Amino acid sequence: MSKTSSTRGGIDRRTVLAGSAALIAAPWVVSPARAQAKQVNIGVIMPLSGANAQFGINSRNGIELVADEINAAGGIKALGGAKINLIVADATSTPTTAGTVAQRMISQNEVTAILGAFASSLTIAISEVTERRDIPLLTMSFADQITGRGFKNIFQVVAKASALGKAQLDYTVAIAQAAGTKIDKIAIMYEDTAYGTAQAGGLRAAAKAANIELVMDDAYPLGITDTTPLINKLRASGAQAVFPVSYLNDSLLLIRTMRQQRITIPAIGGAAGYVIPDFEKGLGEFAEGVLSIAPANYDLDTSLTDRFRKRFGYFMVHEALEHAVALDVLVQAIEKAKSAKAEDVTMALRGGKFTGGWTNAMTGGAVQFDSTGLNTASIPVMVQWRKKELVTVWPKEVAKGTAEWNS
Amino acid sequence: MSFIQAILDGLLVGGVYAVISIGLTLVYGVMGIVNFAQAEFLMIGMFVSWFAWAYLGLDPVLAAPLSFAVAFALGWLVQGQLISRVLKAPSVAQIFLTVGLLIVLENGALLSFGSQFRSVTTSYQTMSLSLGSLFISVPYLIAFSMSLACGVALWWFMRTSWFGRAMRATAQNPMAAQLMGIDTALMYKMAFALGVGLTAFGGAVILPYVTVFPQVGGQFVVLMFTVVVLGGLGSVAGAVVGGLAVGVIQALSALFFPIQLQNLVLFLVFILVLAVRPQGLVGASR
Repeated sequence: MSKTSSTRGGIDRRTVLAGSAALIAAPWVVSPARAQAKQVNIGVIMPLSGANAQFGINSRNGIELVADEINAAGGIKALGGAKINLIVADATSTPTTAGTVAQRMISQNEVTAILGAFASSLTIAISEVTERRDIPLLTMSFADQITGRGFKNIFQVVAKASALGKAQLDYTVAIAQAAGTKIDKIAIMYEDTAYGTAQAGGLRAAAKAANIELVMDDAYPLGITDTTPLINKLRASGAQAVFPVSYLNDSLLLIRTMRQQRITIPAIGGAAGYVIPDFEKGLGEFAEGVLSIAPANYDLDTSLTDRFRKRFGYFMVHEALEHAVALDVLVQAIEKAKSAKAEDVTMALRGGKFTGGWTNAMTGGAVQFDSTGLNTASIPVMVQWRKKELVTVWPKEVAKGTAEWNS
Repeated sequence: MSFIQAILDGLLVGGVYAVISIGLTLVYGVMGIVNFAQAEFLMIGMFVSWFAWAYLGLDPVLAAPLSFAVAFALGWLVQGQLISRVLKAPSVAQIFLTVGLLIVLENGALLSFGSQFRSVTTSYQTMSLSLGSLFISVPYLIAFSMSLACGVALWWFMRTSWFGRAMRATAQNPMAAQLMGIDTALMYKMAFALGVGLTAFGGAVILPYVTVFPQVGGQFVVLMFTVVVLGGLGSVAGAVVGGLAVGVIQALSALFFPIQLQNLVLFLVFILVLAVRPQGLVGASR
């Protein structure tokens, strides 16, 4: 190429050909070299618009916090201090888009792994792609199908929806018993997508096992605009407690309509809408004392989660926490594999037990995946609203406060 | 008793469905345009009211006139700058324009306000009146009364004011109206602005029981179209009948069928009505 600059006007065809070939090849030559030296691409697919956007943004915040902290502390040591490079994409709130985005991310961005995507229906769509391309997918989505299909490349860091449903019932029965109340009749209502249906299944099975009568068991469409018919039915049912599994909008509607009709039986929420700051903002004093099951809670290790509150101005909601754990575990696996190649990372994820770091904020204080990819160390917790904060009240081993039961 | 309760709840909710749908039917009645972005004006009304509540301390229901005014101004602009260009265009162009407007408004709200769910807290939010063993939800009752008042005001305006008469004349025969000295372009602006203003008003009054976020229109859009088509597209009285009918059908179907099938029953009735009376329950008064 130096020839072109020294011999004016003597640009022959060969030089031009060589030059353009070099130009075309340049991106391929340069980018792997750069990636190897300084960064590991990790895909983050979240619903950043659409009905689940708020949860997607929370999740992204949790992931960014951990990524920034690891990068600030010197990056991934086993790879010579390689920095984490998050590639964030919007899954919108539709499964087909989530799948397309995953496809594009894998072909264009050479990601080591993907994190996402809060809503089970989105995660399932992404997992079809990651499974085909052998890229590990780490998720906090609850649905049982996620690790129930024999996929090799999927890792679920929390207990499954059916386990959450079972815990929602079992813990409630235990809390009521501790307060001297025996529960025989309950009502279940749930939104009819993958998440609500799976968790209701767990509730139903647990109720049957505990010989508790289901006096109401109703699915309702997500995006319902009027919950009065549901609450009318609840009032007539004679249930001692109600177990709604709903996202935020429906959870606010349900609790408000219950209060309007002066129904005072305890409502034990099924995570999602019940364990985010907006729930308290929307209900004010009526949120006080509301119980909910949650896959994890920020008060299990405030030394970690306060960093989130400091940066983003609200408590570390569970989806942010669990996605933070997912990234931390992923980085631990990369350190262990001493490689950013997807298959090596998958191998490392499947084998080991991960402790320390953000895993301290999980029940069990560790993350260990079984052969299906489910984290066997995680059990759900029961939380209760107290003065705008969520306090873990059950099981007793991890509780930070005593459960209050008003029947 | 639960039957009467269901009818009561259905009527209260239905009154609101009626008011948010009147705008849609009004715009069609006067201009022959189906505004697919109508539900986004509901969202705008809710946002205006939410901001008035959050920053001015105004009760969302009292902020409803403000929501009306903002949407009215916005509607005036949209009609003057955008819709007026496609009035005589093929209906495909009209559909593209209003659907495009829907996407712009929704994503504009997402950009400006973010995606979080916003709800208000008011003193009457969890209150209800009891009538024997019947419950009347206070926020529903307030929304219903405000909607009713708004509907009556519109009816009065359309019947008695010069503007109302001119607007009806324009709807019946734009050419003749223009020859009689009516500024039809002004009437179109008026109708569109009034239509979206009413929907925004409806958005504000339901804020005590509905959470607002940029995509909230999606929850109502199908209902709105069902209401106006059921009542007779273009007929204001039809929208009122349609709204009340939709509310009652929803509430009653939940009594006999799983609530999951609520809208299925609604659409079965809808299809039945269309088969028997294609012009809607209250024939089109265009």
